[in-house]
This record gives sequence, structure tokens and C-alpha cells, in this order.
Amino acid sequence: MTLKLLVAAALIGTSGAAIAQSTTSTNAPPPPTPPRIATQPPVAASDMQMVLDQLPMLGTKPTETLTPVKARIQPSAADATHAVMRQKGLSTAPDPAVTTQDLPYGSDPMQFARIYKPAAATGAPMPVIVYYHGGGWVIADVNTYDAAPRLLSKQLNAIVVSVEYRHAPEFKFPAQHDDAFAAYRWVLQNAQSWGGDTSKIALAGESAGGNLAVATAIYARDNNLTKPVHILSVYPIANSSMDLPSRKDSANAKPLNTAMLKWFGNYYTSSMADMQDPRLNLVGANLRGLPTTTIVNAQIDPLRSDGETLAAAMKSAGDKVEQRTFPGVTHEMFGMGAVVRGAYDANQYAIGRLKATFGIRN
Amino acid sequence: MKTLMISAAFGAAILASPAMAQVMTPSEYVTTAGASDLYEITSSKVVLETTQNPALRDFAQTMVTQHTKSTADVKAAALKSRVKVAPPKLTPLQQELVTELRAEKGTARDAAYVAQQKAAHGQALAVQKAYATEGTAPALKTTAAAIVPVVEHHLMMLKAM
Repeated sequence: MTLKLLVAAALIGTSGAAIAQSTTSTNAPPPPTPPRIATQPPVAASDMQMVLDQLPMLGTKPTETLTPVKARIQPSAADATHAVMRQKGLSTAPDPAVTTQDLPYGSDPMQFARIYKPAAATGAPMPVIVYYHGGGWVIADVNTYDAAPRLLSKQLNAIVVSVEYRHAPEFKFPAQHDDAFAAYRWVLQNAQSWGGDTSKIALAGESAGGNLAVATAIYARDNNLTKPVHILSVYPIANSSMDLPSRKDSANAKPLNTAMLKWFGNYYTSSMADMQDPRLNLVGANLRGLPTTTIVNAQIDPLRSDGETLAAAMKSAGDKVEQRTFPGVTHEMFGMGAVVRGAYDANQYAIGRLKATFGIRN
Repeated sequence: MKTLMISAAFGAAILASPAMAQVMTPSEYVTTAGASDLYEITSSKVVLETTQNPALRDFAQTMVTQHTKSTADVKAAALKSRVKVAPPKLTPLQQELVTELRAEKGTARDAAYVAQQKAAHGQALAVQKAYATEGTAPALKTTAAAIVPVVEHHLMMLKAM
């Protein structure tokens, strides 16, 4: 009797876990939450904390306890930033110095890109930046990540192509990488018609998109495509080890914690083996011959060690790479430059690095 | 008897396991869909107060009409499914979005509205699709399935804006 019960319980346990990882349902239950780690994250700067404080007020629940569909309707860090901007009397409307146009690059409704173009474009060919948004490949979209591509377009007088891609769990790894690569090819073919100069093309991205930026540069190298001149990778997913220092010291950070990394992985992978694929575990990829790279990290972020270890791996591979960790700020800060000083500094650093690559003086 | 009850419990667990879905309850779905419609209607009315853009005016008016209809459709289906329907209420985020919209003037309000609509419709589609696929109350599931192409069409219109 007892034995039977144990067997039945074990069976239910295993099948549950297996189903959760393989299902494409957005109603799939979250994976069991990992045991709580007591470590408190480093203290955030007061302007950063002000943004974080908005999240519970806007009704944000812990992502790691939700199904994908419920996670997708949660208030985001961008929503929290807008709330602070509004409270400070700043406009939350998109900066009219940049215009946008949504164009398809594939047949799925999610395979489209938002082309950001300076409103004051003169007709002279402009540098091109292909940008990939974050959200762990499960949540968020080009709308959530409007701040960075808009800022880069304005400050660099560049065409920025913000790529939407099919999301997990409906489409699992490597669908997002395949879309990122297809979009890069499409940009190479079409950028000239938008006023872009593909001899000055860079790759950029945040979080899951920071991974896609590097993975796409590797793809371009291996497929003899026009090589990007620069990679801007902001707090990328780049290392599948769960033992990294930031996984522990920022285990309870906001808006991203270590439990959420497991949650995302549960939905975007089909099996544990996917995690060791060099497109996800970038530190294990062949990184030789990649363009000049800038890696931006936030101190209070379980992904901080990913950026640091990726920079080390790229250096060992002989690449020109510079990595900086900005203190007092968290994951998602790169879109908060309007209200968070550390984020503004990170924006300026990235813009300076891209200006140097594009040969823009001032 | 005890053994039987335990086996029955496990039987139910095993039967339920192929789906393993934690789909929204009918009540959660009705509340979420109602809030989303109310936000669409409220924000569209805010932009209609000021916009000078005829195309945007048409779009906002369409939003008011079609989201009023989907609220009525969900309400009717909820009655069939015997789910209690409270009057729709904005979430704290939706309240904030409306406040942000009211804080903008002129073309900035138009632009903020379009940006908000793009984000909100993506989320509305996620909710409707999820319930249309695995919802447990048949009448509500059918209604969600009928709302999916409407929201998809709104998203298509927004891509041209």
C-alpha cells in the first residue's frame, strides 16, 4: 500500500515535470520554486529603488509563481519607469525625435521589426543597429523595450531595427535564435532602402536579447555574412552554470531573481540538454574572430556573472571586449536613463563606445 | 474504502495530468477580459477628447465599439456558464496608464495612446488565446475564440500606425 502510494506519487512527480518542460501551452504551470536563499541583494541607489518600489504598487506578482500568460500581463520594469517619470512631471510619450515603422520579416505575426529612424534624417546613409529585446524569450516585446532603441537612434543618428521574434513556450529554443538570424539577413538586404549603411552595422540587445546579439555575430561569422562592426550586449544570458557568484548574491534581487532564470529556462528549453547548447551557454561557444564588443552589466542582477564570464571568455579568444558593471542598479536598468543616474551613465558609456566604432565625433 | 478513496484521488490526478494546465479560472478570465476592455474603452475616450488626427479618431472609435461588444459577449457567456460577473474594474497598472495618457497633451497624447495600445493588445491577445485553447467553461471558451481574430485585427491595424 505504502509502496504503491510512493510509486504513484513518484510517477505523478516526474510526468508533471516532463510535461511542463515540453508543453507549448501558455497555461503550463510554473516549475517548483527552488529552495529560498536567505542572501539579501546589495542596496540599490535611491533613484533605482524608487523605480523598484513602483512594481508592487502597480500589482506585480512574483513571475516565478505564474503561468506564462499571467506573467505576460504583469506590470514591467518599463511600466514602473513610466510611473516614476509621470510622477516627476516628465512625458511618457515616445520621443518624437524618432519615428517608427513596423515591417514583417517572416510569415508569423511575431516575425516583424520596428524600424526606428531619426525624424531629422538628412538622407545621408546612417549606421544601422539591429537590436533584440529581453524578457527571457517568454515575456515582453518590442513595446516593453522601446527606451533603448529609441535612445540609440536619436543619439547616434542611426537606423535601429528592434526585432520581435516568436516567443516560448509556443515556440521553444532555438526558434528565437532562428528568428534573430533571419532578421539579421533581412536587415542586410533591406537597410539601404531605409537609409542605412550596412558597412556600419552593429548588433545590440538586452538580457535574452543581449544573448541574441552575440549569438547572431557568431552566426554571421560562420555563414560568411557581412560582419557587424560592434556588439553591444547588455546584461546577457550567457552562462548556464547555476553556481555563478551573481546567482547567489542577487538571488533575491528585483526585478529579476535567480528563481526566474529557472522559470524562463523551463519554458524556452525542450530538455535540460538545450542549456548546454553554445547558443545559450555562450561562454562555451567558439568566440574567435568576433567584432569589438561592449558588455554592460548591473551590479544587482543574477545575470551579472554571465556578462563578466563572457567578457573573460571573449578576451581569451582574442576579441577586443570591454565590460563594465554599473553599481547600485539592477537588471532592466538600461531603459531607465531618464530617471536613474546609474542607468544614464550606462547609456552614455554604450553610446560613447558605438560612436567610436561608427567614427562619430563629438 | 480508504484505499479506494486514495486510488480515486490519484486516478483524478493522473487523468488531470496530461493537460497539467493552470488555466485561468472562469472568474479570473472574466475579470481580466473585463478590465482589459474597460482600459481600452477608457483610454480611447481620453484620446477622443483631444485628437486632431482623423485616422486615430476612427481607430479609437472602433476600439470603443468593439471592446464594448466583447464585454457584452463575455458577460452573456458568463451567465450561460453560471459565472458571477462583477462590474469591470481597472487594474492598478491600467489606472496608471490612463493617468499617464491624461498627463499628455496634443500629438504627444496621440503618440502615447498608440504606444499603449500596441502593448495592451499584445497582452489581450495572450489572454484570449490562452483561454480559447484551454478554458474550462465552454461558453466562455467559445467567446474567447471569437474574440481572438478581433484582437488580431486590431494588432494588424496598429502595425500600420
